[in-house]
Amino acid sequence: MKRLLSSIRDGRGFDVVLVAFPLGFLFLMAGLPLLYNVLMSFQEVDMFSLGTFLRPFVGLKNYRDLFAQPETLPILVNTAIFVTGSIAGQFLLGFGLALFFWVNFPGASWLRGLFLVSWVMPGLVVGAIWNWILSGDFGVLNFILRESGVISGNIFWRSDPNYSLYAVIMANIWLGTAFNMILLSVGLSGIPTDLYEAAELDGANAWQRFWTITLPMMRSTIGAIIALGLIFTLQQFDLFAAITSGGPNNSSNVTQYWAWEQSFRQYDFAKGATISVLMIIFVMIASVVYVRSTRHEVRG
Amino acid sequence: MSDTARDRLMFVIALIMAAIYLFPLYWMYITALKSGSEMFATPPTFWPSVPQWSTYAYVWESRGMGRYLWNSLIIASGAVVLITVLGVGCAYVLARYRNAWVDIGLFLILMLQVLPASLMITPIFVGFSQIGMLEYPRLAVIIAIAAKSMPFFVVLVRATFMAVPMELEEAALVDGNSRVGAFFNIVLPLARNGILVSAILIFMQAFGEFVYSKSIIQAVELQPASVGLNSFMGPNTNEWNNIMAYATIYVTPILAIFVLLQRRIVSGLTSGAIK
Repeated sequence: MKRLLSSIRDGRGFDVVLVAFPLGFLFLMAGLPLLYNVLMSFQEVDMFSLGTFLRPFVGLKNYRDLFAQPETLPILVNTAIFVTGSIAGQFLLGFGLALFFWVNFPGASWLRGLFLVSWVMPGLVVGAIWNWILSGDFGVLNFILRESGVISGNIFWRSDPNYSLYAVIMANIWLGTAFNMILLSVGLSGIPTDLYEAAELDGANAWQRFWTITLPMMRSTIGAIIALGLIFTLQQFDLFAAITSGGPNNSSNVTQYWAWEQSFRQYDFAKGATISVLMIIFVMIASVVYVRSTRHEVRG
Repeated sequence: MSDTARDRLMFVIALIMAAIYLFPLYWMYITALKSGSEMFATPPTFWPSVPQWSTYAYVWESRGMGRYLWNSLIIASGAVVLITVLGVGCAYVLARYRNAWVDIGLFLILMLQVLPASLMITPIFVGFSQIGMLEYPRLAVIIAIAAKSMPFFVVLVRATFMAVPMELEEAALVDGNSRVGAFFNIVLPLARNGILVSAILIFMQAFGEFVYSKSIIQAVELQPASVGLNSFMGPNTNEWNNIMAYATIYVTPILAIFVLLQRRIVSGLTSGAIK
């Protein structure tokens, strides 16, 4: 006992104690729910069996039911559109801004940091602001588009099934661009400048330098950012809750919102768990890509 | 073109881009000051003709914002305290050693970081209801947020500890400090700033948290401001000036903290996510 105490105070035991509590906590509050999720997706869960662990086992029935539903496929397609649209928009805008701010001028880093306010704001507030900007009759976006001649009539962004998903994508691009830009800036500043000097001496123009130096040197950063973008887009929930609530008629619904809706609007926890399991597997694959592209940091 | 002229030109272009990017934020502040009729004017006004400052007091009173913000504060502070107490030690150990176990631990932590809250809430809610945690909804939310955000905190703080020279700690050990003493007297004070910045980032995230609070907290008097904002925005609302006033009161403190600590927050953030 005494040896144990002294090891905790002044030896290996100290490290073990420091790590054991947080990892135990994470196992209880993140690991167990994960396993429980998988268990529930094979069970029949309703309001009456909510209090017990021993619910009827139904095998793959929940999964079969899920794919038999007519809305499943459109929602999966929506998710794919949402993810690709958001990542493409965030990345291209972010990369453009990062390249612009890479040219060092006084005040550049301060102004660049200011962009990040979009990222620190609560998602609900971002959603509320965009909800108002995107409003059909009185929204300022429609006004600007009308004045500049892009559209002739108002677009009902939130209530037109053809546009509702893009309304959320737009808000999400705004939310994530700054984060992409900051991380890309870090990557850009890591490229040694003598590469560019050498290329310039060899007569490469700006376009060639971008394609032959910047992009190849940024490859691992870009991989990490796209994987991170995928992870963040699949976590996006607040914007859906604040702008369209997945409607009208599921036209802007995505899996992560749908799973929550099944559990907390329809009280069909088994279905919510089933969708969650499928999505979590997908997110985990993305995170393996992310971890692999930042591995050189992990290994030191 | 001379260098200063180029710098000025770049600065002006950057300023314009920032203005375009931050327009939604401007629109929030401006809409909050408009009157009910000016808000629906076509063409919209880009500066309120008669600023309605009383909207703030009205919204604060009628929506009971004091209570909402207080709940947000409790939840965010609770989550930050829990995460800091548990996470700092973990980050320290993961930064101090390099071996297969540390790699496995880091990998697990990075994997936990990516689980979407809206997908994890189903098992957490059912599990919490079974063990009776829903009797203490705010505590339940604090624990759920802590589990969600701790991996991110550990990754950020680990980067801070990596920057603390090992030699300082070793010197303290040689001088007769115990491991506990060296940790609290030498390592922790040196990493204080990084820990503080990470804690502020976590606080800002937890202050705006929505999914867990919305799902777990049923009683209105215990709900945080994000849930309050959500219930303020009905499907066919037309009180946009009031909603924007609510949003203004809610985010301005966060934005103020961010602008004040911008440089530190940005560098803390970038050191953790990608190196």
